[in-house]
Amino acid sequence: MLLAVATLAATAQIKKPELMVIPSDVWCIQNGYFYEVENMGNKVKVPNYKQALQEDMGLKLAIAKLNDLMAERQFPLKSLEQTLKNIELQHAEDNLTVSKAGNDLAESPLDELARTAKCDIILELSWEMKDFGPKHSISYILEARDAYTGKSIGAATGTGKQSFTADVDVLLEEAIVANMDNFNNRLQDHFLEMQEIGREVTIDIKVFANNAAGVDLETEFDGEELIDIIQDWLQQNTVKGRFTMPYQSENIANFTQVRIPVYDNSGRAIDANGFAKQLAKMLKKAPYNIPCKVMVKGLGRAVIILGEK
Amino acid sequence: MKKKLLFILALMVTAVVATVDAKPKAQREMDEFRYEIQCAGNGVQGTYLVRVWTYNKKLKAALEACPRNAVHGVIFKGFVGGDGCVGQRALVREPGAEMEYEDFFNHFFASNGEYRKYISIVPGTEEQMKVDKVYKVGIVVSVQKDELRKALEAAGVIKSLNYGF
Repeated sequence: MLLAVATLAATAQIKKPELMVIPSDVWCIQNGYFYEVENMGNKVKVPNYKQALQEDMGLKLAIAKLNDLMAERQFPLKSLEQTLKNIELQHAEDNLTVSKAGNDLAESPLDELARTAKCDIILELSWEMKDFGPKHSISYILEARDAYTGKSIGAATGTGKQSFTADVDVLLEEAIVANMDNFNNRLQDHFLEMQEIGREVTIDIKVFANNAAGVDLETEFDGEELIDIIQDWLQQNTVKGRFTMPYQSENIANFTQVRIPVYDNSGRAIDANGFAKQLAKMLKKAPYNIPCKVMVKGLGRAVIILGEK
Repeated sequence: MKKKLLFILALMVTAVVATVDAKPKAQREMDEFRYEIQCAGNGVQGTYLVRVWTYNKKLKAALEACPRNAVHGVIFKGFVGGDGCVGQRALVREPGAEMEYEDFFNHFFASNGEYRKYISIVPGTEEQMKVDKVYKVGIVVSVQKDELRKALEAAGVIKSLNYGF
């Protein structure tokens, strides 16, 4: 009995969000760590994280310092370097540069990283040295973004005191140490909000044209339209019934600001895909019996297509 | 009748004495945390470097209160930055926490209280002036904020970053 209670308590434990530091796009481009690829006739600069990690000692130092400070707060960071190695192993690196062949980028490198690393929060880091005669100063930005929605969680920014020290590593370390508490305060606000009102995702529902099942969002079941049935399900399964529907027609419904529980009943972390699958499962069952296809668009967005598998 | 008058007079004297005594006591209590706190530079990892200005009618009392006020300021006030000095929010952000954990903080800020573990005074930084019979004493104090935060987390006064996970 005691064992069962202990097991239940253990499974009910909420998992920690995973965090990863990456250099920002602007820092990568300013320092020459990028690919230039063709996308729809336009030249697009894509950050080359691997090159940055291999060639920039300041970046490695910054990531190590951030990891040290976050570990001190019981939040060790996920390694960008290791994640990139995993991508290589999975031959996913080609996807990062797929647009060299002239194809569209299905996912940005950031999406690719977030998906592969399965991290919850991306910490984007950039800094720049500024010279004032013999003195130097460092401008520093650390911004946290929710990997699910891409929304900014908070940032620590500042320009350090002017110093005769020209060593960028010394000034960078000082900037990181000085700004970390303010950054963590914002992170903590986000965690507390997430625990209270859930994780924010987007769910799109579409309909296959001329589908064999003959359904659209206005198809009625027991006198109730399918869109209303879906809204009722969302009302019951989102945290505090929080979601909005900015657009709806007989073929498309967009649900944004959908607050899903951080973990399902078995204690597993769920993302937009997991949540959309639960909705699809309901639609596949009687009395609806609607064939559905769930497509993933990153951690925070899923599309359910009704009518065919 | 004479006894009654004497008794009433005695009561009045007691009340007046009590009132006279209460004012300085209240004033003393107010003076204890009458201070300003400023950023004095970016401290080394795990510390905040602050300049605290304490006001008191007695120079010795003002000097003695400075380190305690520095810790009090880091916990409850925070401080603004500027000129490359990074301002910080208070460690305790829930309003009313000082009252809620009154017993804890009474012990913590007692004359030989635990707050002493988290401070070191930077030598040669003392400044003092007298304005309207009140001393204003300033000193730079290094506050070990990481250790202080851990102590407050352990006491349940503040939530850790890890809270809820």
